Amino acid sequence: MTKSRLATTLGCFALLCLVIAAVLAWYVTRTPASPFAAQASAAPPDPALVQRGEYVARLGDCVACHSLPEAAPFTGGLKMATPLGAIYATNITADRATGIGAYSLADFDRAVRHGVTPDGRRLYPAMPYPSYAKLSDDDIRALYAFFMHGVSPAAQANKPSEIPWPLNLRWPIALWNGLFTDPAPYPAKPDQDAQWNRGAYIVQGPGHCGSCHTPRGLAFNEKGLSEASKTYLAGGLLDGWYAPSLRNDPNTGLGRWNEADIVSFLKHGRNRHAVVYGSMTEAFNNSTQFMSDEDLGAIAHYLKSLPGDPSRDGPAWQYQASELSAASSAPGAHTYVSRCATCHGLDGRGQAEWMPPLAGATSALAREDASAINITLNGSQRIVAAGVPDAYRMPAFREQLSDREIAEVLSFVRSTWGNHGGAVEAKAVGKLREHTGPASSNPIILQMR
Amino acid sequence: MQLRINQTTYEVDADADTPLLWVIRDDLGLTGTKYGCGLAQCGACSVLVDGAVVRACVTPVAGVVGREITTIEAVEADAVGKRVVSAWVKHQVAQCGYCQSGQVMAATALLKHTPHPSDAQIAAAMVNLCRCGTYNAIHAAVHDVAAAQENA
Amino acid sequence: MNDSLRVTGVAQPFPVGEPVNISRRSFLLASAGTAVGALVLGFGLPLGLSRVQAATGNAAAPGTQVPAFLEIRPDGRIRLLSPFMEGGQGIFTAMAQIVGEELDADPATFLIDSAPPGEQYVVMDNGMRITGGSMSVRTSYPTMRRLGALARAMLLQAAAERLGVPVGDLSTEPGRVIHAASGRTLGYGELAAQAMDLPVPDPASVTLRDPSQFRWIGKPVQRVDAYDKSTGKAVYSIDVKVDGMLHAAVQHAPRLGMRVGELRNEAQVKAMKGVHSVHRLPGAVAVVAERWWHAKRAVEAVQVQWLEASADAKVRQMPADFSSDAFRDQLAAATGPARDEENEGDFGKAFADAATQVEATYHNQFLNHAQLEPPSALARFNPDGTLEVWLPNQAPDMFRADMAKRTGLDPSQITLHSPLLGGFFGRHFLYDSANPYPQAILLAKAVGRPVKLIWSREEEFLRDALRPMAVVKFRAALDAQGLPVAIEAVSATEGPTEAIAGKQGEKIDPTALEGLSGKAYAIPSKRIAQVYVKGPAMLGYWRSVGNSLNDFFYEAFLDELADKGKQDPFELRLHLLRDNQRLTNLLQAVGDLSGGWKRGPFTAEDGSRRARGVAMASPFGSEAAVIAEVSIEQGQVKVHDIWEAIDPGSIVNPAIIEAQVNGAVSLGLSQALVEEAVYVNGQPRARNYDLYPILSAQRMARVHVRIVESGAKMGGIGEPPLPAVAPAVANAVAHLTGQRIRSMPLSRYTFS
Repeated sequence: MTKSRLATTLGCFALLCLVIAAVLAWYVTRTPASPFAAQASAAPPDPALVQRGEYVARLGDCVACHSLPEAAPFTGGLKMATPLGAIYATNITADRATGIGAYSLADFDRAVRHGVTPDGRRLYPAMPYPSYAKLSDDDIRALYAFFMHGVSPAAQANKPSEIPWPLNLRWPIALWNGLFTDPAPYPAKPDQDAQWNRGAYIVQGPGHCGSCHTPRGLAFNEKGLSEASKTYLAGGLLDGWYAPSLRNDPNTGLGRWNEADIVSFLKHGRNRHAVVYGSMTEAFNNSTQFMSDEDLGAIAHYLKSLPGDPSRDGPAWQYQASELSAASSAPGAHTYVSRCATCHGLDGRGQAEWMPPLAGATSALAREDASAINITLNGSQRIVAAGVPDAYRMPAFREQLSDREIAEVLSFVRSTWGNHGGAVEAKAVGKLREHTGPASSNPIILQMR
Repeated sequence: MQLRINQTTYEVDADADTPLLWVIRDDLGLTGTKYGCGLAQCGACSVLVDGAVVRACVTPVAGVVGREITTIEAVEADAVGKRVVSAWVKHQVAQCGYCQSGQVMAATALLKHTPHPSDAQIAAAMVNLCRCGTYNAIHAAVHDVAAAQENA
Repeated sequence: MNDSLRVTGVAQPFPVGEPVNISRRSFLLASAGTAVGALVLGFGLPLGLSRVQAATGNAAAPGTQVPAFLEIRPDGRIRLLSPFMEGGQGIFTAMAQIVGEELDADPATFLIDSAPPGEQYVVMDNGMRITGGSMSVRTSYPTMRRLGALARAMLLQAAAERLGVPVGDLSTEPGRVIHAASGRTLGYGELAAQAMDLPVPDPASVTLRDPSQFRWIGKPVQRVDAYDKSTGKAVYSIDVKVDGMLHAAVQHAPRLGMRVGELRNEAQVKAMKGVHSVHRLPGAVAVVAERWWHAKRAVEAVQVQWLEASADAKVRQMPADFSSDAFRDQLAAATGPARDEENEGDFGKAFADAATQVEATYHNQFLNHAQLEPPSALARFNPDGTLEVWLPNQAPDMFRADMAKRTGLDPSQITLHSPLLGGFFGRHFLYDSANPYPQAILLAKAVGRPVKLIWSREEEFLRDALRPMAVVKFRAALDAQGLPVAIEAVSATEGPTEAIAGKQGEKIDPTALEGLSGKAYAIPSKRIAQVYVKGPAMLGYWRSVGNSLNDFFYEAFLDELADKGKQDPFELRLHLLRDNQRLTNLLQAVGDLSGGWKRGPFTAEDGSRRARGVAMASPFGSEAAVIAEVSIEQGQVKVHDIWEAIDPGSIVNPAIIEAQVNGAVSLGLSQALVEEAVYVNGQPRARNYDLYPILSAQRMARVHVRIVESGAKMGGIGEPPLPAVAPAVANAVAHLTGQRIRSMPLSRYTFS
């Protein structure tokens, strides 16, 4: 190879690199299209739109991350641990300096549906824009009206993320977006009725149920954003909790629930099968209980249409009676009788609807044992339904039971009354013990206005 | 709703989720059953429901309709309960006494179900908290009743 | 005469001019307040008082106003108003024994209630009226005996008049006066009305029974309350009920000192079922309702905007960044100035010249009282403007004075009832911000009806006054033989008395250093000093107070010195106590009790490796020595046996002492093994027993007690058995595992 050919080759390669870099640079910093781009910021909207926007904010549970209990609403500050370092939710009030007061509707749209700020910076997908992408234009407009005119602007500077350089470079997120998100709003399925489509819209879009309930891939991507994927809402592990399947799986999903059970669960926080706990408490306290009966019905209707997967879920649970008393000798049985049975019953059937049954509970049937361990270690957060904190809550046992004792009692629960979740290892308890803390006994109520 | 407590039927006007404890104490005036924690941690509120010990602070009242509830006030109407109380007096168990209603009920439930409990069974059943530290006296009293039943 | 009644400052609910009629009085008492399941007894001033005062002048000797204390019923049962509160320590029974011994009445015939406030009930030799400091029996013993003897003399006099015989011909047997010559007898109940009308004899005129003739003192007399407490019949404050009463629950500010701002959902809460009203109180919001359950649920629902404390707030202000771990570090970094409590010899020189120097830093944890009965208070304003309050307390006159200050009422307008305490442990002292009665009084005033306020367990853990924390820096010198010749302990801490006062006093708070100071060991040079560090947490007395931490520090460090000097810790203590026969005997007694001192480690029958540790303490006028046997199970300490020898000088009831030792061991083990009040972000992490474990039955040790009656001045019993427990355990653990833990609780560590 002559020098000149080498130079030419190198030159071409360099040029190619440059072009790729340029395209990449454009791609990762480009401003996504918005249907609102041409529109000037609207005059103060009518109150009905603001109110609708508030409802959309409830559907989307914006408050869960963007408000802290003792701070002004939507001023951000919630610390979210990521494997790379902590990040903080931002101020999304209309304060011009520290919030989103300077955002046009199009800016707002790009942030919510595409995770891109006006200066082209990519948001971390802790902001569930892969789901919010499905929001309708109308809902975006309403949501914008709410944040601009329904929420008081409050100056509160954002906290910088604690992710170190170079991991804190944001542009790779654009590539991630390209691979794992779909920028189109929810497309109604003509072969399904309006109720189903409304349910699908809420579940996939504002409700972003998949953020927790859909398993994630290696790139932390949800393995499906709609029912087109068989793993959509098939159960996921996040933040020390196993969010169960929302499909028709009789063991780990909603197979044994009817639509009324689902509605009751989302509206009252409880039904004959279960009581909300773990991360779902926040979703219930701040979001689902505020949804209209029609919307809850639609959600239930949609979820019940998602088929289960027997190969993943296994044989359906059947209750098996078990003789239990203080005389029981299985390693975890003593602990169960003395610590658990007074609420959950010697028969494991609980005291519906106040103390959930453990017989047939998802946490006792799923292979993932994180939820069972976590709730036992740390107890339950207060469920606040219709403004009133719960009458009964789960105590924390982290100070009373050793890793081994918790493993034994959970192994017992997960192998009794027909439960077949399997044994729990003391090591797994120890690991979660280190990474979690006890739930507060104070009701936590986040303000929307 | 109607409750059967200590062989008497009471007409009670309470929300379904009200803890049995507060119906017993405030509505019926049976204050022998104590409030200690409200979280099923201490056992001061132990009562019997169909002969099994439960913690009344975590027992929604709607769930015990139609069942036979026994509180400390009627413990001596039960043959085993009477022996338990005698043993409690004989062993001078109580100090401040606040937890002892629950301890007596727990012991009664254990000994009704298991007349000759092993140490492990006693340990598993007698888990109510006592801040005065009467645990050894409780253990001795339970053993005493068990031994007496053996001889009987 | 009636005027003299009023100036005593005791409420007088009964017609003053009425003749003495004891049975009628008891009828009135029984009907003064009634409720289902809970009989409310009100106390009046027995009418004999005026005559007592007429007889003895204003300066009546303590405990001589017999009718104020005793009511003998026609059936012979004797009602005694005890100057001391019963909270499990057995004081009612002890009072029955002591008074009964001299009155000649079986303690089993006594019915005992707490006496109301009033100077006639001041019977302690220090002029106080407080149930605490393990002082009750030891400070009132001769006085209460004399009270019984005076009452007996009055009954004898009445009998003499009735039978027309000289008093000298009469004698008594339990509950009866006997005229041996004629065989006639009269029951005390038959004589009481007449007897209590008589003037109280000159206190000097009665002779007390010779101790060799005691029937009840010194015997394991059954507790007077055993049956009631085993059958749910005993009535505590939380059980009291009066006509027309409403119930209240509170939500306290998350941090002490914060103020109530906006109530965001007040209208919604007011509309909740059963809610009577919503109230703003200092640092708290209250809901009053027809039932407590409704009040509790509603007050939890109130969304309060909590405001930071104002600069001039009277209560302590808990900052948002306070944590117990950081506070420990702050104490450890505190450098002075220090004030000396003890300074003997020349520590500095002895330390500098020593063959071996030893230094170590110890610390302890905050603790909650965690008594099983949650705090409550019932307040009722009567139509005449007087106030009645029922609440658990250990110092009725102090509480009443505080109520008078708060309400502007004269103390004579306030009636204070002191029901049984559902746990003592030092919780029921006058702690500003840690008592529910100021709130109950405000609420009763606001709603115009009696209000019973109960703090939920969660609110109790939020506002309980904490056992103080200390960081103690030890330095010590050993001579060439390895024996300690100098010791210094400098404690960075705030004593509970300092915390209650809000400042350091002229003198060192003895409750800050007790257990470091007052050690009997013959170490020629010693310096015990305090660096005062005021913290934001509200502090209180916790069973055995300063000794509960300081004896842990000192006795554990003493074992370190023994190890360093290659001495056996038991032998070293014997050596250091060689000139103290009482403590030498006591230490040998606990050694004997344990089957002879053996430190181990050894293998027990069950195959576990075990070791023993020893420790001593000299709290509250008594002496205690403890040996603990421990093993390690799953990385945690298992205490198998506690042998404790205790010398309170002389005793009243060995069975109660054994129970008190058991209780103190339980609390001592609890603080050593599991308990800790953790604060994070200015708030307690634990709001219930789930995150604040107290010793369970499973972790209780077998307890073996030997009572040593040395005949020394009578000491206390409620608290003294506690302090030596934790160091004995820590010393055993250190020997077994080689890990010297210089803090509590041991659950923070995993052992192998």
